[in-house]
Amino acid sequence: MKILVVNNMAPFIRGGAEQLADHLVANLQRTKGVSAELLRIPFAHDPYDRVVEEIMLCRMMELSWVDRVIGLKFPAYLIPHEHKTLWLLHQYRQAYDLFDRGHSHIPANESGNALRDLVRTADDACFHAAQRIFVNSGTTQDRLKRYNGFSSTILPPPLNDPEAFTNLSTGDYIFAGGRVNSGKRQHLLIEAMKLCRTSVRLVVGGPPDTPADAARLRETAAHAGLDGRVILDLGFLDREKLAGYVGNALGCVYLPVDEDSIGYVTMEAFQSEKPVLTVTDAGGLLEIVHDGVTGLVVEPTAQALANAMDRLFLEPRQAEKLGRAGRDLWTGKHITWPNTVERLLA
Amino acid sequence: MKVALCSSFVPFINGGGRFIVEWLAAELEKHGHQTEIIWLPFVETPDTMFRQMMAYRMIDLAQSADKLIAFRPPAYVIPHPNKTLWFIHHFRKFYDLWHTPHRPVQDDNRGRAFRSRLIAADNAAIGEAKRVFTNSRVVSDRLKSFNGIDSEVLYPPIYRPERFKSGAYGEEIVCVCRAEAHKRQELLVEAMRFVKSGVKLRLCGLSHDGKYHTKLQKIVAKYSLQRKVAIEHRWISEEEKVAIVGGALGIAYVPFDEDSYGYPTLEGALAERPLVTTHDAGGTLEFIENGRNGFICDPAPESLAAAFDALWEDRDSAKRMGQAARQRIDEMRIGWPHVVESMLA
Repeated sequence: MKILVVNNMAPFIRGGAEQLADHLVANLQRTKGVSAELLRIPFAHDPYDRVVEEIMLCRMMELSWVDRVIGLKFPAYLIPHEHKTLWLLHQYRQAYDLFDRGHSHIPANESGNALRDLVRTADDACFHAAQRIFVNSGTTQDRLKRYNGFSSTILPPPLNDPEAFTNLSTGDYIFAGGRVNSGKRQHLLIEAMKLCRTSVRLVVGGPPDTPADAARLRETAAHAGLDGRVILDLGFLDREKLAGYVGNALGCVYLPVDEDSIGYVTMEAFQSEKPVLTVTDAGGLLEIVHDGVTGLVVEPTAQALANAMDRLFLEPRQAEKLGRAGRDLWTGKHITWPNTVERLLA
Repeated sequence: MKVALCSSFVPFINGGGRFIVEWLAAELEKHGHQTEIIWLPFVETPDTMFRQMMAYRMIDLAQSADKLIAFRPPAYVIPHPNKTLWFIHHFRKFYDLWHTPHRPVQDDNRGRAFRSRLIAADNAAIGEAKRVFTNSRVVSDRLKSFNGIDSEVLYPPIYRPERFKSGAYGEEIVCVCRAEAHKRQELLVEAMRFVKSGVKLRLCGLSHDGKYHTKLQKIVAKYSLQRKVAIEHRWISEEEKVAIVGGALGIAYVPFDEDSYGYPTLEGALAERPLVTTHDAGGTLEFIENGRNGFICDPAPESLAAAFDALWEDRDSAKRMGQAARQRIDEMRIGWPHVVESMLA
């Protein structure tokens, strides 16, 4: 069976969705009787009304020699094919929830409304014709139901390289991995560090979204004067280095705002038997991070985070226990690539 | 510089057309440029060709890329203010193959109108390019005669040419390429009936459905050529190829009327091997000069046999011709530095 995975391409930019698509293709290729390839259709997001052309060009493309399409993103998944499985990572939020909240680059006027309707109409037709619809998270599932009226099955993306993540030692630092930007609230952690009463350390390691994000965080850390207790390793970390930071940590911390899914940071922490510290408004990871069971869930304030970090530092055996429970809960979900591929092809 | 390399492809059908794009991207990266390879699907059916070309036309790469390099049709219809073409072939069924059974529509008013609109669209899109390069004289001539567009030939090198080394001049004439009817390995096998020396023949390469391989085997059996002819019907790794080519007596490549000189010709020349081809092979004739760096034979077994024997009888001459083949690469400026310079000029 020849399966074409179809994704968008933002030329010269690679992120989590690109990695997911690459791993999906690689894992499909490992499946008996399956050959798989990736199609990436360039997508230009600006100006907002380009979306008309973007929809049209995807619908005007043609495929031959392909038995099945697995579509990941709008508008690439609009490419015509009679056997289409969708695995939605998110919809074109500019025309959905961001539009409703006034956070879209599509203007709230007559022209904007028409574009929003166009996107939704194109989506509806595609969803209607699809054989199966999977989504990456409950949030995506809810939006799909609310806006388009389609039911879907949650299929969370697995960790791509679980074998790389193991528990190496229980260190004296909390590790904050993942992308660095104001929405991930690394600055709040530095504020918390100022309030800590123990000698717990903090390591922030990950790629900043923009040079400004990096500069802001460096400045905050410099002002805090926490000589040596905060380490910033800002930039893309190779997998080995990342696994080392996680594997030797006392615990991991991740503070997104209302995130859609569990997230790679949480998966990597639990795979390495580390407890996860997070906050009550973090979103999707609260499905698996339970306070006092697999980690600590506190109010999103510097003081509450400081208390939690101190607690992990003072009770390392308890931290290890939470980490083991996290690992059991996570691995018990059997979210692996072989299982994911099996469900996608079922 | 951010360079987008765009070409069309048919998913799950791998052809040599993919290499030139991937190799150029790797070379540009070596020179410090950022690259993005963009493969877009295309189905060459008259009913929907124009619709698909319009889809290509709507793609916006002007915002994200500083430069666009377009390869197979219709990638060149993607608009960009800084567009360069490495034009490898036309939609040939509507161009030079129109007056052949390959023509996909009737040669009536409707069919001719379709063809003329396609050529007009090509003219407009190719005309937007800052520079137009082709991979061979043949393709440049077609661009001139069908589209009235001037172009420059930029011969495609192979990846990491330094891998090929010159070894001893052995006993075998070697041909490493896919075993397909239009590559005409049967001429080479038949030639072995007429050789008078101890020269041998080795064919390496897969045939897509095995049929042509069977045909070659039958010729070997029919004339009891088993001792003279070795046929390896399998995928040959790059390392193996380097070793086989580097120890050959000579390289034979006798396709029917191809556009470009073909990778086998270049690989043989890199390993300083004399080259044997036929005067109807097309692109090889741009590279091979009879008696200087190889032999241009009649497409007949007897003629090829005489060339094989000549190489066997006079190893010194074979070596001289092999060295001349290596020189020919530089004379024709076949190399990545020249390609990168031309592409970014």
